[in-house]
Amino acid sequence: MPLWFARGLRRGIVTTRYPARPDSSAADLPTPPAFRAGMLDHRLADRLVAVCPSQALHRDGDVLVFDVGRCTTCGRCQEAAPGAVRPSGEFELAGTSRAQFVKKIRLLPEAGR
Amino acid sequence: MSARRATLGDGSGTRRAAASPAGRAPGGEEALAEQVRQRVARQFGRSLHIRTLDTGSCAVCEQEIRLLGAPHYDLHRLGFFFTPAPRHADLLMVTGPMIRAFDVAARKTYQAMPGPKLVVATGACALGGVYPADAFVHGAVDEILPVDVWIPGCPPSPLALLQGLLVAVDRLAEKVSGLTFTAGEAARPPAPMAGAPPARPGEAPAREAES
Repeated sequence: MPLWFARGLRRGIVTTRYPARPDSSAADLPTPPAFRAGMLDHRLADRLVAVCPSQALHRDGDVLVFDVGRCTTCGRCQEAAPGAVRPSGEFELAGTSRAQFVKKIRLLPEAGR
Repeated sequence: MSARRATLGDGSGTRRAAASPAGRAPGGEEALAEQVRQRVARQFGRSLHIRTLDTGSCAVCEQEIRLLGAPHYDLHRLGFFFTPAPRHADLLMVTGPMIRAFDVAARKTYQAMPGPKLVVATGACALGGVYPADAFVHGAVDEILPVDVWIPGCPPSPLALLQGLLVAVDRLAEKVSGLTFTAGEAARPPAPMAGAPPARPGEAPAREAES
């Protein structure tokens, strides 16, 4: 049972105090993935790119480019690589320029070269 | 983009330049930007009316927007109100991938709004995530309208929408440019990870103090 519901029953007030105080229900929100860069090589990155349904990921040489704006938090990348990809826990994602959403994640260098 | 904003005369582009430390303009420009920022804050009175515009979304964004008026989120306590007419609106909240059949209606809605006005692109569709540009959709809202604030999420939760609205009126600072979305590295010392609630108070007091 969410905390706000219990608080509401007790005090008759259900309204969140966000943004002055953090909201307890924020922990349950689906959030975009965070990547463990030390575990991502080219092959795994390519698999994540293939599994992403919303073109939020693409690989540019040794860099995995993650467009947070396009991410639908579907969790498929986390399913494909549970160790290397985890929920970031960030939900306050509004930005004032489109470029802020494009994140570059450095991959492990290719072993063969 | 910035030239287009300047012709619209809403000053929001300049306001943003003052707000972001990265794009700091030298000397006189900065002072001018600060003046414009204060004018926008005064004109909006930190309370404003929102018109929503559905450009082909699946309506889940609308469900989340509707929840903003529910007792738990209570949008009105923060001075935001929904209005049925663009002529009464200060902020246009656009959802959906901007279908081409909606071009005329979207432009008319934007033009009907009195200035200064803000456009908020809401949801992954509006940010170009779900539908790539093709014969039927533009693929992203900023292809057609000058967007001021982008709120990602599919759908964005009401809390994310609240944060986006507060960013749009400069009552909260945006956070996303500081996030790296990497884990296991010391990019951000106390990285909130896996299921841990991002227990962090809003940055409102600091912003309130400076104005």
